[in-house]
Amino acid sequence: MNPVVYAILIPLLVTFIAPFFRPRTAAIVSFVAFIIPFFVTLWALLTNQSFELPLMNLGKPIGEFYLFADSISNAFGATICLVSAMVALYSLPYMKHRFEEMKDEIDDVTREFRKYFLLFNLYAVSMLWLVYSGNLILLYIFLEISLLASFLLIYKYGYGNRQWVALLYFVWTHIAGVLTLIGFLMIAFENSTLALKSITTVSFLAWLLIFLGMIVKLPGLGPHIWLPWAHAEAPTPVSALLSPLTVGLAGYVLLRIYLVSPWFINEFRNIIIAYGILTSIYAGFSVFKQTDYKKLLAYSTVSQMGYMLIALCLGSYGLLGVVIQYISHAFGKSILFMTAGGIIALYHGLRDVNKMGGLHEYIPTISNAALIGFMNLSGILAVGMFGEFFILKGIVDVYGLDLKLILAVVFVFIISGWYSFYTLRKIFYGTPKGMERPKISRFLDTPLYVIGIISIVFIFPPLATLFLKSLKLCILGGVCP
Amino acid sequence: MIDIATLLFLLFATPVAFSLPIAFAWVYRPGAEWARKLPILSVFGLFVSLCIALYILFYFPNGTYTYPWLPDYNINFVFIFDYLSKYMGALTALIAFLIGVYGLEYMKHDYRLGWYWFFFNMFTASMLLVVYSDNLMLLLIGWEGLGLASWGLIGHWFRDDDELSYVGIIGRKVGPLNMFWSPSFGGWRAISTIRFGDMPMFFAIAAIYALTGNLNISEIDWAGLFHHIGAIGTVILIIALLMGPFTKSAQLPFSEWLMTAMTGPTTVSALLHSATMVAAGTYLFMRLSWYIEPWKLHHMHGVEMVYLFVLFLGLISALYGASVALGCRERKVLLAASTMSSLGLMFACAAASFWLGKIAIYVAFWYLIVHAFAKATLFLVAGHLIHATHDRFCCGDLELAKKMKVAFVATVFATLCLSGVPPFTAYWVKSAMDGIMHHLMHEVGSAPLYLLVTVSVIYSAFLAKFLSLNFIKGDKPKHLHLHGEVLMPIAYAVMVSMLAVLLYAILGHAEPIAGEFVEKGFERSSLAVGLAVLISYVIALVVPRLESPIGRFLGDRMYMPALNDYIIPKIGWAIAKIVDYGNRLIDTFCHQAIPELIATYSLGVRAIQSGYLKRYVKIALGFVMVALIVASLVRW
Repeated sequence: MNPVVYAILIPLLVTFIAPFFRPRTAAIVSFVAFIIPFFVTLWALLTNQSFELPLMNLGKPIGEFYLFADSISNAFGATICLVSAMVALYSLPYMKHRFEEMKDEIDDVTREFRKYFLLFNLYAVSMLWLVYSGNLILLYIFLEISLLASFLLIYKYGYGNRQWVALLYFVWTHIAGVLTLIGFLMIAFENSTLALKSITTVSFLAWLLIFLGMIVKLPGLGPHIWLPWAHAEAPTPVSALLSPLTVGLAGYVLLRIYLVSPWFINEFRNIIIAYGILTSIYAGFSVFKQTDYKKLLAYSTVSQMGYMLIALCLGSYGLLGVVIQYISHAFGKSILFMTAGGIIALYHGLRDVNKMGGLHEYIPTISNAALIGFMNLSGILAVGMFGEFFILKGIVDVYGLDLKLILAVVFVFIISGWYSFYTLRKIFYGTPKGMERPKISRFLDTPLYVIGIISIVFIFPPLATLFLKSLKLCILGGVCP
Repeated sequence: MIDIATLLFLLFATPVAFSLPIAFAWVYRPGAEWARKLPILSVFGLFVSLCIALYILFYFPNGTYTYPWLPDYNINFVFIFDYLSKYMGALTALIAFLIGVYGLEYMKHDYRLGWYWFFFNMFTASMLLVVYSDNLMLLLIGWEGLGLASWGLIGHWFRDDDELSYVGIIGRKVGPLNMFWSPSFGGWRAISTIRFGDMPMFFAIAAIYALTGNLNISEIDWAGLFHHIGAIGTVILIIALLMGPFTKSAQLPFSEWLMTAMTGPTTVSALLHSATMVAAGTYLFMRLSWYIEPWKLHHMHGVEMVYLFVLFLGLISALYGASVALGCRERKVLLAASTMSSLGLMFACAAASFWLGKIAIYVAFWYLIVHAFAKATLFLVAGHLIHATHDRFCCGDLELAKKMKVAFVATVFATLCLSGVPPFTAYWVKSAMDGIMHHLMHEVGSAPLYLLVTVSVIYSAFLAKFLSLNFIKGDKPKHLHLHGEVLMPIAYAVMVSMLAVLLYAILGHAEPIAGEFVEKGFERSSLAVGLAVLISYVIALVVPRLESPIGRFLGDRMYMPALNDYIIPKIGWAIAKIVDYGNRLIDTFCHQAIPELIATYSLGVRAIQSGYLKRYVKIALGFVMVALIVASLVRW
């Protein structure tokens, strides 16, 4: 059997074991449980491994449950593992701070840590399994588990009016979930199966429902309004999974359905790409007006997810762009949310951008990490460069030298760079505001650099050579199930 | 014998690797005594690069060298060694090394050495990558590195607390404009402008890849490509590609970032913002023209339009930059404006290659070399002056000149060489440039020649003004502290002596192209221009100051800051405001209005359930009535 299967079993088992350890050990165990599958999935990605593991057959109309992997799954899987592993380590100092803040509501910190690590690992592992599930119902189940786990995390440990925000998050994501589920069921009745490899057609209504559901989750312009609430008020380690990993999975689902039946996207390409551009630019401008650092990052997520919608419309090279954009955004945004959390933990909940300024003076390591994070977002010397490259190539492939479209997409990329460096200046540079220089736990900044260095190493050989080769074979070679 | 791959790896990796010790040391022990000795390592890294670049210059055969990167996409690390790259590489490495040595002393007491040396060395590596790479994607990696290093180094003094690091007079306002800029602002402005150009350039690269499947500048079938996409496509593609060079080389209207880039340390201004990085834009244009061979594409209107556009953009930017420098009082900003002017001339001259062939590129490239050494010298002197006088504005008299003899002599020689006073270095190159613009008479008209001569005259005037105001007729400096610097004078003395080497190369016919320069230099028209330049030099030397509203207008950079500081931000913030209202509207609708609507509805439904029979009967009767009315209306 393929080593990837064993590797993704590890975090699943650890999810239920980790709560029995003391907090520090639990954090390290969770880290190890995700870093091992990271290396395995990375290896599988670089060597273009693929496999299929039948689980059971449920008969019509559900069809076969099976796990499968190709380079797309491995690319998503490796990203999820790396970010989860690093956030697990980071959780330890951050949640310690959070529990101290909440000491009126909590009696036993160790017990809270048990609950926390159970939910955290469950959340991360369900996303990991999602990208390896070969049946749409199986996929939906993992989607629901991840939603429930993250809902509970926000409900219990969030900020502000956290129960209200958690419910808001729950309602929105379930609108998305229900629409998608109905779409899936329609596929089931049309094809008598939901196994990805056996589906042959996806009718208009099914596609539309799945698309709308995923637009809510992605999110596109309009439904995007849930995202700033959820991302800003969630405890920061959860934000650091929610924004980089979860919302982008909507792109993964659309990508999978596209590979089965591309007609819907191709038919409505112009509308979808216009919507994607509008989302991106709209959210990009929203970033400038935010005063809450975490909300600011949430809007930037919306803008980045617009890239994925754009990329989805741009043919085979666009699909490459979708995958790379997911990786690059996950790396960049997880770093950035962790910097936001670092500031919160070190300066007693400081989130107001206007009260920051000159922070580089006091927390240079976090400031430099934020620079790497923003480099990822704007595609400077990080893996995002390839994402942008393939999106731009896709434009010429599909639309030729269409000046309006070129200007719009180029502006989308420009505005990412603008808000990135505008925010950097506002938060970290300028005259320092006379704060004290805190002592930083190494868990609070080292994980950021690990992700950052990997995101930069990804543009050079041998990593770049191999992973782009595998993705090309997978997407352009036509071996996808 | 080391193989080429290792050598090239060392060329790019050594500067970065040797700057890591100080970078890490500064994170953990900022300001420690032992950490302050580590910059020597960084400079050693630069020295290794210099040795390799010189080895390439003298011993490498011309040609390309390929190392696999993304072989499945036909995108590879392709390095090219030809006339342009060999000289440019050696020039970059030499200037970087000399300025590195200067920086050891200049930055000795700085509070942020780790950051400074890391970005300084990363810049050098990126620049060498841009110079030697033939593959556009690889070039783009270096290019992004340049942008990032420039941002990091401009905003180096991020605390914004030192008056000496500002540009403009602090507190001065003209209308709604603040006419002063802090380092952190300068950094943001630089990167925002550069992103504006880099993204279209990135698009153009992707488009070239999509259309030809190849990204190696020397291999792409440019003529076939232009033929395939037609005149309009050609214009879109090349202009998009040149947006990168235009912004990086600060051509109009993207010039403002270069002026506020002077908030960075002077070493940075000398290396990045005069000698090498800003010249990377013009260098890329030369390299592209070298292989596009536009002189063979006369039947393609798209190409002609683009080259005509670049010609005039360059000349007009040159005129703008020279006029601004004429009105400027700040040492570094004056030099920045003059850099912009020179870059414009390089663009214009290289664009003339469409009509005149490769010779125009040779001339532009030689001007780049002369300009790099001369301008770097002037910047280094300016840095020393700022250190000594604690003043950003021009000041200094003959007494100062006596105390800083090396600086004085270096300035005299550099200004003479750069302004084109015969028989100094730039005179010969400028003469060839005059000749080229003269040749354009038939195709383009006489405007380019007149513009060039005007620029040359103004150029020499402000260089003489710089000399005069700093060493001869300027105000007496308020403070004067000479700290017995050794490395700084050595660095600029070596730098300025390179101009003599170049002069020797031209007059001694050491280069094949030199014969052309000398021949043009002895033509009567060239001598006339040289005389005009000399006269304006002498006049400005004697009368360096003229108070007039025009001067103030020029000194305020013709209020170009309004574009960057007022118009564009106003538009941006207006859109951001609208978008913010949109968000609030959606938020209120989804998270207030809909829940409240449902709550009201639920309250109404619950009110029915009061338990009184009377109410239920009423409701039932009401429904019957409605049913009857509906039935009668539809005549059922």
